[in-house]
Amino acid sequence: MKNILIAFGIVVTVALLFVAVSKAETPERITIINSGKAGGSFNARTQMYKEGLTAAGYDVRYENVGKISQAVKMFKASDEPTIMVYANNQVYKQDLFHTENNFILAEYQQPLYVCRTNASKGKVTNLTVAHGKGFDPELLTTILGNNITLVPYKNSGAMLKGMLGGDVDMMVNNQGKSFKYIASGKGSCRPSTVLPMMVATVIGKNIDINRLRSILFDISTNTPFTEYHTTRKLVRPSSTWKQELTLVHELEKGYEIK
Amino acid sequence: MNELIAVSTGLLAGTITGIVPGAGVMVAMIVASPLLMSFDVLQLLLFYMSLASMVQFTGTIPAVYLGVPGETNSLPAVIEGTKFNKRKMAKLAIGICAVGSVLGSLVAVVITYGLLSVLIEHMTVFFSNATKFYLYLFIIAFCLLVYNKKNILVNLSLCAVGFMLSVPGESDISSDFRYTFGIEDLQFGIPLIPVLIGFLIVPTIAKMFSSSNSNVFLPSIDIGFCKVIKYFRKKLVASSLRGSLIGYICGFVPGVSTVLSTNASYSFEKKLHPNNPGKLLVASETANNAGQFASMLPLLLIGIPITGSEIVLYSMLVDAGWSPYQFDNVTNNADMIFKQIVPWFVFANIVGLIVAWPLARKILNLFANSKKYMIVILSVGMLLLNTYLGILDYRVWLYTVCLIVFSCIGLLIKKYETVPLVFIFILGNDMEGVFIRQMLI
Repeated sequence: MKNILIAFGIVVTVALLFVAVSKAETPERITIINSGKAGGSFNARTQMYKEGLTAAGYDVRYENVGKISQAVKMFKASDEPTIMVYANNQVYKQDLFHTENNFILAEYQQPLYVCRTNASKGKVTNLTVAHGKGFDPELLTTILGNNITLVPYKNSGAMLKGMLGGDVDMMVNNQGKSFKYIASGKGSCRPSTVLPMMVATVIGKNIDINRLRSILFDISTNTPFTEYHTTRKLVRPSSTWKQELTLVHELEKGYEIK
Repeated sequence: MNELIAVSTGLLAGTITGIVPGAGVMVAMIVASPLLMSFDVLQLLLFYMSLASMVQFTGTIPAVYLGVPGETNSLPAVIEGTKFNKRKMAKLAIGICAVGSVLGSLVAVVITYGLLSVLIEHMTVFFSNATKFYLYLFIIAFCLLVYNKKNILVNLSLCAVGFMLSVPGESDISSDFRYTFGIEDLQFGIPLIPVLIGFLIVPTIAKMFSSSNSNVFLPSIDIGFCKVIKYFRKKLVASSLRGSLIGYICGFVPGVSTVLSTNASYSFEKKLHPNNPGKLLVASETANNAGQFASMLPLLLIGIPITGSEIVLYSMLVDAGWSPYQFDNVTNNADMIFKQIVPWFVFANIVGLIVAWPLARKILNLFANSKKYMIVILSVGMLLLNTYLGILDYRVWLYTVCLIVFSCIGLLIKKYETVPLVFIFILGNDMEGVFIRQMLI
């Protein structure tokens, strides 16, 4: 009987030790959803966090969705620790807003660019303007004037092709595609001071927001972030979580679909 | 050595993809993605190029023997290839397609080399809305006037159904979700694969089960390779060259590329030789390969992907460290194409020619000897493919429901050619955007 108890005690001790050791060695798991297409900033930023979190010892499960609407759907349905790169210009369309429960950090602000073809220089009336389908037409006509024809395109890439193909005189596009257009030599672009700013963010769920914010902050500060046109470090609009969230809430309103 | 590994794996993947009905280059790229993560930029380009080239060769085999398109751009091969099969001349059809495909690829390389500076200067013309608008008008006319014994009413109805199926979900030009009936998965539209399986493949399989059917799995007259070359040289060179030229030009059109290449070339040839399946088959298949090469040029030269599979490739290229910022490197990119890509492209085409021939013979023997098993395998394969792609797309239940519904409708209308329906379904959303923009511009 004594021997049985000793053997039982050894087995239990070994089992407990095994559980403790295996638990200690199991890296924390986190899912990161890539909502961006190749070459875009969402994709590049997701890659950056994937590599950074892996280097920080996380067991990263990478879901390469590549489409914002499906990524948001997956994010909403997730029961596990999950993060996703996001932006304020998506919230109304995707019906997913930045809240105290999901907001991790704001990375940088980016203006929208207004580009114009060289061929249309001197043209003052009947200008055709390409815009993405998420833009508010009323806002664009208020800013660019009533004497324009708005031409809707599927996305920023389609707009760029439309400009290169000579469909339109102007386009309102993001920084990456605008820089690409400038490089083509077919026209010029300038950052808009009146169109709403785009602020890039990271959101998450089922996570310790403060801890993850600190880790992601270090990753994004220490890692050069490669986008289309340049290598740069991310610059945050402010330094505290509360201020960033307030700013994001304010900038979200610029993209409210009327 | 690394290049050879990339080309070999690309050729193998292309062979399998081509003979699996419904699977396309994009699906193959997604399935192969774990392997491709270790590839560098040049290997990725060579893998894709070999895969896409090989699919053009082997995709003809199920199209001719089974009447099932390996890819959406194999539809003309289905229509004309099955005519060869009925005459027990399937091997001749495979042979002339393979020879035509090589010729089309070589013509595309020669045109690119000769017109490189003009191409770089004017490539963006193909991005214009007007170009797409006129091409779409041409496609609609083609759909109305070519299929179902030129019965315009039937074709119009099929086109209308195809368009209606393309409408639900997110529009190309507005942020609204249309006709989703509260079903969240419909926000992304009706998936392509169940439409292809339900409206094209299921009716074909049903026809195979039909005991009165004598059009599939027929023994084919053994025709030597030299005879095929002789036949091709005597009768098909002109059609092949026409197809190469049309296919090459259409290959630059974003989104539709080789689908447009094959069908534009097919319909042009149909005007010239309406009752000559050989010329029609060769013109479309040659155009396919020429278009395939042309479609890669915007990506390789100026960093703009223009087809779905290229977007997947582009994603992998960027992950592998490729800079998509290409406008000031056009000359370097052209050098890369001719020094590092083209030799392997020619190699891949020659391998395609060599492989397609014996492979066709093997597949024919396999199908002829075990008809019922092959039908079951094909059916189960389609079901698995649909489920697998549904899982990848995170909406497996919608794929399943669509597959069941479309298969039932497909069976009910199996006596009609459903190609116009599928065509307009694939292009409908983009077509709508192009037409609206054309009115605004």
